[in-house]
Amino acid sequence: MINIEIDGKHIEVENGCSVIDAAHQLGIYIPHFCYHKKLSIAANCRMCLVQIEKAPKPLPACATPVAEGMKVFTASEQAVKAQKGVMEFLLINHPLDCPICDQGGECELQDLAVGYGGSASRYQEEKRVVLHKDIGPLVAAEEMSRCINCTRCVRFGIEIGGAMELGQAFRGEHAEIMAFMSDTVDSELSGNMIDLCPVGALTSKPFRYSARTWELSRRKSISPHDSLGSNLAVQVKNNRVMRVLPIENEEVNECWLSDKDRFSYEGLNSAERLTKPMIKQDGKWLEVEWQVALEYVANGLRQIAHEKGAENIGALATPHSTLEELYLLQKLVRGLGSHNVDFRLRQSDFSADNKQPGAPWLGMAVADINLVDRFLLVGSFLRKDHPLLASRVRQATKWGAQVNLIHATDDDLLMPIANKEIVAPTEMATVLAQVLKALATAKQVTLDTNVQQVIQSVTPSAIAQAMADSLASGERVAVFFGNFAQQHPHASQLQLLAQHIAALCGATFGFFGEAANSVGGYLAQAVPFAGTEHGMNASAMLAAPRKAYILLNVEAELDMQNPQQALAAMGAADMVVALSAYKHHATEYADVLLPITPFTETSGTFISSEGRAQSFKGTVQPLGEARPAWKVLRVLGNMLDIPGFDYNNSEAVRDEVLVGTDLPAKLGNVLHGVPAQAATWNIAGLQRVSDVPIYATDAIVRRAASLQKTRDAATPRALMHSVELKKLNLQSGEMIKLTQGHGSARLSVIADDSLPHGVVRVAAGHAVTAELGEMFGSIMVERA
Amino acid sequence: MEKITNFFKTFLLLELVKGMALTGRHFFARKITVQFPEEKTPQGFRFRGLHAQRRYANGEERCIGCKLCEAVCPAMAIHIETEERDDGTRRTTRYDIDLVKCIFCGLCEESCPVDAIVETRVLEYHGEKRSDLYYTKSMLLAVGEKHEAQIAKDRASDAKFR
Repeated sequence: MINIEIDGKHIEVENGCSVIDAAHQLGIYIPHFCYHKKLSIAANCRMCLVQIEKAPKPLPACATPVAEGMKVFTASEQAVKAQKGVMEFLLINHPLDCPICDQGGECELQDLAVGYGGSASRYQEEKRVVLHKDIGPLVAAEEMSRCINCTRCVRFGIEIGGAMELGQAFRGEHAEIMAFMSDTVDSELSGNMIDLCPVGALTSKPFRYSARTWELSRRKSISPHDSLGSNLAVQVKNNRVMRVLPIENEEVNECWLSDKDRFSYEGLNSAERLTKPMIKQDGKWLEVEWQVALEYVANGLRQIAHEKGAENIGALATPHSTLEELYLLQKLVRGLGSHNVDFRLRQSDFSADNKQPGAPWLGMAVADINLVDRFLLVGSFLRKDHPLLASRVRQATKWGAQVNLIHATDDDLLMPIANKEIVAPTEMATVLAQVLKALATAKQVTLDTNVQQVIQSVTPSAIAQAMADSLASGERVAVFFGNFAQQHPHASQLQLLAQHIAALCGATFGFFGEAANSVGGYLAQAVPFAGTEHGMNASAMLAAPRKAYILLNVEAELDMQNPQQALAAMGAADMVVALSAYKHHATEYADVLLPITPFTETSGTFISSEGRAQSFKGTVQPLGEARPAWKVLRVLGNMLDIPGFDYNNSEAVRDEVLVGTDLPAKLGNVLHGVPAQAATWNIAGLQRVSDVPIYATDAIVRRAASLQKTRDAATPRALMHSVELKKLNLQSGEMIKLTQGHGSARLSVIADDSLPHGVVRVAAGHAVTAELGEMFGSIMVERA
Repeated sequence: MEKITNFFKTFLLLELVKGMALTGRHFFARKITVQFPEEKTPQGFRFRGLHAQRRYANGEERCIGCKLCEAVCPAMAIHIETEERDDGTRRTTRYDIDLVKCIFCGLCEESCPVDAIVETRVLEYHGEKRSDLYYTKSMLLAVGEKHEAQIAKDRASDAKFR
């Protein structure tokens, strides 16, 4: 520890701490632009110059480490003179266009210019002009003359985003920020550059010119998209969400936000929003009053329960629904006498149901990911599915963590990968078995006979051996299961092997989790095995079609593991009640559409993958006659005379679920009583590998216009190894016809030699592939 | 002594004479009454009357939708909505001033970085309904077009004091 004095105040700080950090600890503000606590030190704006005793010249506070007995003066005559001088230099080339600048009102340069700038400029010469650039649909770089070359955006790209997508080219007066790798910035974290930019050089394109910052009121919310539970500041004007910014929470999203969380708000104001209850009569959709629609639903459900048996009613919800909604949905369905309720729509293997002590979760706190030194990632599109978790893993690799990856595709994770095994889904269990065997041999452990018999026949490959060595050498090891592994048809077998690997190297075993409420769904008991009696899971409900379905937020052709089967089941049902915020494809198969609100218009709770229950309030009034889903379900419960539906507010629902519940005790990943067995596959020809593209995961993002213009949202193409293409006598770029079951899709095919042989990569969750079947399994490929 | 003064005042009608003298002075003095509307009082170039929106000589509207006037307005009389125009500039889609709310303080004019919103010398306007005094963008632009010569002249006179 080092003792220093800043402006006469004494403080003890850690060795290696910079003067600016020490000053901030004391609550003394030192003006700065290029310094950012999460980024490396560049010291190129020179705004933070301070006077330091015995130093002949003012020194930059951000790049000066503290020394014993140092005396710093942040507001002395010398310091202020230096700061004013720097400000004059910065303003030389900065255009005087604050009134038309979107940053006006929240601009660091504007604020500091008030304190340190002169009232008039002494500069008479020509100003520098930097040409505007088009760097994609999310970040506007229309006025690059405003740039003060602090390079925060560049450092963000390198250090947090993982790729130097923006860089500073040329020197001196010609220095300018430009896109380096391609014409556009395609990072899934690019929106953070807007927050980082201290001036108006990088601004938000969707928000551009739509409001001034001082008009917006700021309301707290929680992200409904990925399983991280990012804290959001939803900014509202005239009862309309105008933009979304991060709220700093060091334990969750730090000060970042993924683009999905940041720009998805555009979907909230989509023209597709459903604003009135609708009933289909004689093939025509009629707008009706709530009372009529609810009575229709209640009577219909009562009739089906009475005539055909309650087990003929099934309920499906997305894991993006709130805890309250999921809880009331399952309570309603169970009240009717059915146990068919599920939220795990993209899962295909349910053999782990009831074999786990609790909800599958991350296994550790999100913040602890930075401290892990050996990772084993099984089946995860990490960067696209969990942008900010990927960033944390990336931070860990900076400190020497090794990442081992077992997956079916070799997407660039923008971080060093120590060992990777890219295999077809059918081979993933074998690779895990190899790693397990290598570990068991190295540690000379005999596993229980059950698992032993599976690993007996395998011989560890060199890569599996390297993975085992890597994992065995770590101190803080983590084995993570991605969305792909969770959706895998033999997920529980993979899980069994992975948990044995974790046990052998003392690792934490965890699930990244698919959506905001993937953990919450289990706590809300929205799973068929939660009650005393067991019902049908999401897959079984479709395989054996029910007479009535209640869909909560679900778009059957996009959200399900097997959209083909889902649509067939919906089509055959007597009654489909769709609770949806959007007027979507459900018009083809539903009988009633009940307009419910997205997360900004309701109160609720999401439980993130680390088991953090975060409640939020509504930020704007519901649009039109849309109502929060928990209210709709509550009224339905009353109409159906189901006891225990007298809630006054969503907090009462939440408390019924969470108060008196030991949340950590309800989480548990370790499988018990699942016999290990070699997986059997029935693959003829090629097998399908599916990802859910980052901007196709849920109803809100699918309607966010700007996100849909990004490269990540481009129309999916089929990807195959060139050897496979040659076998089929196809050329890269050709149109092909993909067939699964009785449905097909026409896509262009692209050669991708990073894929394993024998697979076709086809995205799920997209309208062009909605006619296809399961996300895994056989798929037929032919020339279109 | 006071008793004596009061005694004389009671019959000498001194106050009456004084009062009549004042009346008499004004009777012969120059009158300031103006025969409105035939005659008008003189106005300064900073007169703050009816608002106007100005255009540049090439016909382009001056307002850039920065909303500083809306923010500064103490009576909250201004309502602005903006969007990005096809050429990439921010323009107002709505610019309304509620003259019933307006207190004619001139802060909107003061805050405007492009001299788009100004207060003209016009004071003779009326409305038969309250809504007639709710001035929209087109109405304000029309006022500006009608009085542009005077407005420009007044800004020029004021320029040397800025």
